[in-house]
Amino acid sequence: MELLCLGLNHRTAPVEVRERFAVGTASLGKAANDLVLLAEATEGVVISTCNRTEFYLAAVNAQAAFERIETRLAEKIQVDSSVSAHFYRKEKIDAAMHLCRVVSGLDSMMLGETEIFGQVKYAYGAALDAGATGAVLNKIFQRAFSVGKKVRTETSIQEGSTSVGNVAVDLAEKIFGHLKNSEVMILGAGEMSRITAQSLVSRGARSIFVANRSFDRAEELAKEMGGSAVRYDEWQRVLERVDVVISSTGSPHAIVHRADVEKARRARKYRPLFFIDIAVPRDIDPGVGEIEEVYLYDIDTLEQLAEEARARRLLQIEECERIILHELEKLNLPGM
Amino acid sequence: MGMDRWFLIAATLLAFIGAVWGMISVHQGHRSRLTMFWMVAAFIFQLGFLYARGQMRAACPLVGTGEILAFLAWSLTLFYLLVGPAYQISLLGVFTAPVVVLFQLFALVPGKLVENPPRVIGGNPWHETHSAMSVLAYGALALAAVAGVMFLVLDKQLKDQHLKSGLFRNLPPVRELLISLERLLWLGGGLLTIGIIAGFLMPRTTQAIGHLVAAVAVWVSYVLLVGLKAVRGLTGRRLSLSAVALFILSLVVFAFV
Repeated sequence: MELLCLGLNHRTAPVEVRERFAVGTASLGKAANDLVLLAEATEGVVISTCNRTEFYLAAVNAQAAFERIETRLAEKIQVDSSVSAHFYRKEKIDAAMHLCRVVSGLDSMMLGETEIFGQVKYAYGAALDAGATGAVLNKIFQRAFSVGKKVRTETSIQEGSTSVGNVAVDLAEKIFGHLKNSEVMILGAGEMSRITAQSLVSRGARSIFVANRSFDRAEELAKEMGGSAVRYDEWQRVLERVDVVISSTGSPHAIVHRADVEKARRARKYRPLFFIDIAVPRDIDPGVGEIEEVYLYDIDTLEQLAEEARARRLLQIEECERIILHELEKLNLPGM
Repeated sequence: MGMDRWFLIAATLLAFIGAVWGMISVHQGHRSRLTMFWMVAAFIFQLGFLYARGQMRAACPLVGTGEILAFLAWSLTLFYLLVGPAYQISLLGVFTAPVVVLFQLFALVPGKLVENPPRVIGGNPWHETHSAMSVLAYGALALAAVAGVMFLVLDKQLKDQHLKSGLFRNLPPVRELLISLERLLWLGGGLLTIGIIAGFLMPRTTQAIGHLVAAVAVWVSYVLLVGLKAVRGLTGRRLSLSAVALFILSLVVFAFV
């Protein structure tokens, strides 16, 4: 019995191709059974996320199974044969290594991300419940999950935030601890503000105030985030109560000056205040960061911190690969 | 050498191991969970020391610099063990352990702890209450100073945007540090108030009056600090610097008065 994997991901296929092969989470079990029938294999698991769709199979003859599944899938989904150029094909130990890399987040768009672990586990569970797996795939998937855990605990592949939004949220938590007692003000209803504020809300931020030159847009964003809109000329009043300010207006000059913050200090009782300036040109006068209780981070600093975390993760790849190889050597799978 | 000293030496060694262990863990970017274990062990031996000295004195062992410093180290450890887990401030131990080691090393300096100390004759309960409450208060105020140092380190790292060190990753959030610092100041201030009231009720010698005046001055300073924070507000940096400065200043004052 041979292990094989046929798949496409964000590196090999554009979204318009990936979406044709996407399988909803509710249908993963049925898809695994269909896959077994299509490929005339004995076992099958279908993994489908926004960045990849992969078919894992245990079959008597890998090459024959590849041909059958590619031809029949193209017919079923009604795509021409050129789609096969987007697929990668892996067999035996290569397929097992690939699965371990996927589970460990090494093959993800955001290196080291943890969500994929749960997604693969869910896909395997669906196939298992549907009766589409057997001795080969059960063994290899169980091993992949234990390798994934080992990689995460023994390396720092998931340490540090790799996006500007997450770096800002991590810093907010370093200043305020649990964000459930923190209030956030957004200056300028741009996309970056929305993403960063959403990250803060997802970690429990208590309330959001949105101030924007266009009050309608402020109301729209506030409604979307479950917050309150504030008239643009009233943001200084709100500054007295909030803990975090995210600024991303399109203003050609600074809109938050040291004097504005100095005015609010007494009313704030000198509590810590975190400014996230993600605008270019900057919205917040650098002098604001010189105020004792103010922590000011601009887009360059946040981007640099995210880049450093990405670089640290890249340095961990070799160690992760070593763990995967070492763990797979312990296996004695048929056909390997 | 008496059993009391062996207890204090063991407590010092255990706190030292806790400090070194914690520093290595933090340097490697891990949480220093075992520091708590070493500090619990040190606390047990501190209790052994205080029990042995208490038996010899037939009173609370707070006579002379050595006993006061050892009692202070015990009080600091006690508050760390109470506050650390409650606020999930595991790193507090890494900062507390060296201070405990320092106090106990001073106590162990030859001449600071009297061999076979005489029994306290004609002891006064107000005097003992004054001594015990004051030293307990200093334990809480010492821990407030430790939390202040932790805040100052974290504040500097956040301001300078040096966020890669293991120390930064392990330090508790700014707000949690400031909350625990303020509560420790209130607790220390409360205990000091009881100590001072007891001081006014105890029989006074000429030497004790100078000591009491110094104690009142320290108490007033702490009351002003917590009052200012509660009423007007204070930046974390000023609160921390004041907590550290006041603690050091009061230790210096009592070394001479």
